[in-house]
Amino acid sequence: MNIPVVTRVLEKNDAAAAENRDRFDRLGVVCVNLLGGAGCGKTALLESLLPRLKERFRLAVLEGDITTTLDAERIASLGIPAVQLTTQGGCHLTAAHVQKALASIDIENVDLLLIENVGNPICPANFALGEHFRIAVLSVSEGDDKPSKYPLLFRGTRLVVLSKLDLMPHVDFDVGRFQRDVHRVNPNVDLLETSARSGEGMDQLASWISRTVEQMSIRQCESACRS
Amino acid sequence: MHELSIAMSLVELASERARRAGAARVTRLNLRIGALRGIEDESMRLAFEAARIDSPCGDAELRIENVPLRARCQDCGAEYDIEGAEWACSVCGSDGELLDGGDELQLASIEVEGEP
Repeated sequence: MNIPVVTRVLEKNDAAAAENRDRFDRLGVVCVNLLGGAGCGKTALLESLLPRLKERFRLAVLEGDITTTLDAERIASLGIPAVQLTTQGGCHLTAAHVQKALASIDIENVDLLLIENVGNPICPANFALGEHFRIAVLSVSEGDDKPSKYPLLFRGTRLVVLSKLDLMPHVDFDVGRFQRDVHRVNPNVDLLETSARSGEGMDQLASWISRTVEQMSIRQCESACRS
Repeated sequence: MHELSIAMSLVELASERARRAGAARVTRLNLRIGALRGIEDESMRLAFEAARIDSPCGDAELRIENVPLRARCQDCGAEYDIEGAEWACSVCGSDGELLDGGDELQLASIEVEGEP
């Protein structure tokens, strides 16, 4: 007997992500999912970014890693609440991981929750966490051919950050090709170039995030008023 | 590696639907995977073989339909499948823009047999 199912395989994760998202909207929290390969500079980017955002927003960070609490310690040393999520071998965070971690955060007193996903350019892009938007990070040392190799990473994101600009003189990275390929995969995406090390582009990144988060907060307030 | 958690969700979903239909065993799963997902057939099969143990899908066959990425040429308007890293228009060679789709990860149907 044949039974039509026609259901998303990850429907349970999608449902948990929707629950997270509803909770964020009720509490007026904007949630960002930061994705990119291992060593693309996500944590360094946060270290440079968070001091630029902390006057404006009440921040919290979830750090996804396979093991170790090193990244959360780096963020906590900036005086920002950080919770380490270890997946114990899993290559990505799921909405259930986030649900569990929220118990360790004073989420009612947070405006902006940043989730740094496990370093991996493929798997995490498959799993919604309840985020309002994604930021994809690629470093110049990873190569300009990645948008066509990891299209889901670039397709599902609102912003692409090209990181480690300071390494540009040492690598063969064709920015023109990269920009063209990113826009092929995602015509409406914004693209910023940064170096957490030199600080180049970091103010622009902080303004982009502030602007986007504020727009979302206004939308949350409006829909809270309506309901 | 994400294939394993996808396979576990897949087995859970198929087993639940079979139970709901009053069937004991799933004999085949028809899965659709879009090219955007970055899921390899072979990894998916390996993961499925691990995930199906001690479930109603224990002897089931996994059929995978791969859904390609589609693009529309910005110059000549042709719509074409993207093969590998070749994104240029297959007709005129100009730049193409990705069309919706290719992100499918869907259990289309299952074949079942037996009483529960």
